[in-house]
Amino acid sequence: MIGHLRTWPIVLALTIVSAPLVLMYVFLFVDTISNAPAGSFIPNEFTLEHWSFLWETRPGRPSIWRVTLNSFLFATSTAALVLVISSMAGYVLSRLNVPGRTYFLAGVMVLHAFPAITLIVAIFLVLQVVGLYNTLIGVILVKAAIDMPLGIWLMKGFYDTVPWEIEMAGIQDGASRFTVWRKLVLPQVKPGIFALGLFAFLLGWGEFILPQVLAPSGNAQVLSVYLAGLIADDNNFDMNMFKSVGLFYMMPVLILFFVFQNRLMNIYGGGSKG
Amino acid sequence: MNASRDIAESARTPIGVRAAQSRLHLGWLSSSKGLGILFLLPAVVLVVLFFLMPVALTGVFAFTNMTTATGITGGAYQVSPGTLRVLTDRYGMGELAERLGQPTYVVDEQGLAALEEKGIDKNIIDSLRDGLLGKTYASRRELERDIRGLPDRPNTRTVKSISEEFSRSLANARFSSRESLIAAAEAIDPDLTDEEKEALAASTYTGWTWTTENFRRLASSPTTRQVLFNTLFFVAMTLVIFNTGYAMVLAIATHYIPDRPAGIFRIIWFLPRISPVVIYVLLWKWLAWDTGFLSAFLSNFGVRPRNWMLDTATNAWFFVIVINGFVGASMGMVIFASAIKAIPESLFHAASVDGAYRWQQIRHIILPQLKWPILFVTCYQTLSLLTSIDQTLLATNGGPGGATEVWSLWIYHTALNNYAGNLQYGMGAAMALVLVVIGIVLSLIYLRLFNYNALVAKPRIEL
Repeated sequence: MIGHLRTWPIVLALTIVSAPLVLMYVFLFVDTISNAPAGSFIPNEFTLEHWSFLWETRPGRPSIWRVTLNSFLFATSTAALVLVISSMAGYVLSRLNVPGRTYFLAGVMVLHAFPAITLIVAIFLVLQVVGLYNTLIGVILVKAAIDMPLGIWLMKGFYDTVPWEIEMAGIQDGASRFTVWRKLVLPQVKPGIFALGLFAFLLGWGEFILPQVLAPSGNAQVLSVYLAGLIADDNNFDMNMFKSVGLFYMMPVLILFFVFQNRLMNIYGGGSKG
Repeated sequence: MNASRDIAESARTPIGVRAAQSRLHLGWLSSSKGLGILFLLPAVVLVVLFFLMPVALTGVFAFTNMTTATGITGGAYQVSPGTLRVLTDRYGMGELAERLGQPTYVVDEQGLAALEEKGIDKNIIDSLRDGLLGKTYASRRELERDIRGLPDRPNTRTVKSISEEFSRSLANARFSSRESLIAAAEAIDPDLTDEEKEALAASTYTGWTWTTENFRRLASSPTTRQVLFNTLFFVAMTLVIFNTGYAMVLAIATHYIPDRPAGIFRIIWFLPRISPVVIYVLLWKWLAWDTGFLSAFLSNFGVRPRNWMLDTATNAWFFVIVINGFVGASMGMVIFASAIKAIPESLFHAASVDGAYRWQQIRHIILPQLKWPILFVTCYQTLSLLTSIDQTLLATNGGPGGATEVWSLWIYHTALNNYAGNLQYGMGAAMALVLVVIGIVLSLIYLRLFNYNALVAKPRIEL
């Protein structure tokens, strides 16, 4: 398609602008297992001391395993909630004849673009009054609600691609609409459900501001808040240790992303293409 | 697998009979309407709880002076030197304040009843009632002198414990309701006017009250203008330079190079988006901190090490925009790249044959095709940049000296987290309300940008 046009200048230019990113991520790995002399970046010794946070709990901070478990619970619960709710609501919007369907779809699209973070002051006060402040349950519900419009939107897109003939055949054979959905349609959108679940998990795993505001301390602390707390503590500035905690935190993300890259790329593009 | 077996089984019985049976058994589950309402229910509940209600409550809280000090659920009536000063200054009732603030001793039935409970001699109580009931004393000394003058002559310790029961001072007293406050005030001064009662209740109330003060403060404060300017500057710069401009450069550049390097670059530029935000910003800190990469690298050339991110306001802005922009670029990149991919390749071939330069191809083939995607990305990203908080909070936290404080961060610092510790919920809600209104307007525009009618095809099964 390009014919007489050369490509290497473009590659060179892209390489130069991408260099800072590459540098940062390469040193994210390098610095966690090595030490460098002061004022230099070339590592001169191999060490595992930066990973000591795995077996030594720092005074005044929860154990890393406890925090990791919280993060895992938080991410899986939000993903599960989003999946269940949006696979049901998405089907209605794609297929069923319900009064007010078009308004609901318009509402979902507005909510998808609407910045839920502006509501955090009101949500913060409500959670305090109902006693869900500083609990995992409270922040899980909020996060699931915020991710839900995108989930419904994506699931509607997946359902739209399922041929009507499958459902018609099921109805013809006397199955109820519920049975048709459960046994005929759901298996058709399995890849979509998988991608959405993965995506919602990653969103939950990386979430920072909601847990920071709604469940900042105690038994509900998640990894992002834990790491931000470490970094904000001026008395123990240890960049290599921060990076080790960071790499530990990011490992699941990297693995999932590289394994399921293609499925995720589409959703990250704003989800407009289902 | 199961599904196909079910169909196979059901095929053996006549269709009509089966259909009638299942409708009988499952009732609403087999109708589109019943199932639809059931399926929408959880989504509707979440929308009501976490979108509609917070929007309404933000509007409500915005008209209160709620803070950490007032609490959320209401308060009590606390008389203190401070509230008495308020009574003097704001309501001009200095005389009343003085009267209420002074220790006062009133011989009344309430005190006598307390004495009875204390087990004081019945005769003493009776003579107190006969001789002193209804009298008011400005000091304890005067009261005790009168008590000693009683026929029964109680000893000094008893006098002390008697006089204690008649102390009716309001100073530093706390009342759980308005009624008990007014009752206590009337015990000291029975001739309180309604106006005075009103002022007393208002000045001693510790809970929140309704007010439009938040908006007045917001409109008149110079900080508002500064933060508003910061926000617009931040959104415009990030949007134009990175979220659309640079995203387009990436999409077009990766279009013109072979698939393999193109894929690698796309992954590299995706890293900021998939990385948890705390780690992503940490990496930038490593780059810019005074012991970080830039400082150490530049020290080879004799540049003094410094915190490049927080050194000056210009530097802070540079990093805030780059940090946010690198995340935002990937969304535009994906959307633009797929729009370019949708352009028929024959167009490019034809252009090549005609000897069009790459710039001419971009100008006349690619850019016209990207009009709608650009509009979409601009609209969506304006909204998310207006409310973006994570990256800026973690990178500069609004610093140095408030130079990079944007609107959403200002809300956070006012209502959710600050050094002073007194969180102004009402004020924060008023600030948030501004964003909520902008958010609703922009998302309605966003809705208009879609070809909406094509999205809601009519269901083809009428059941």
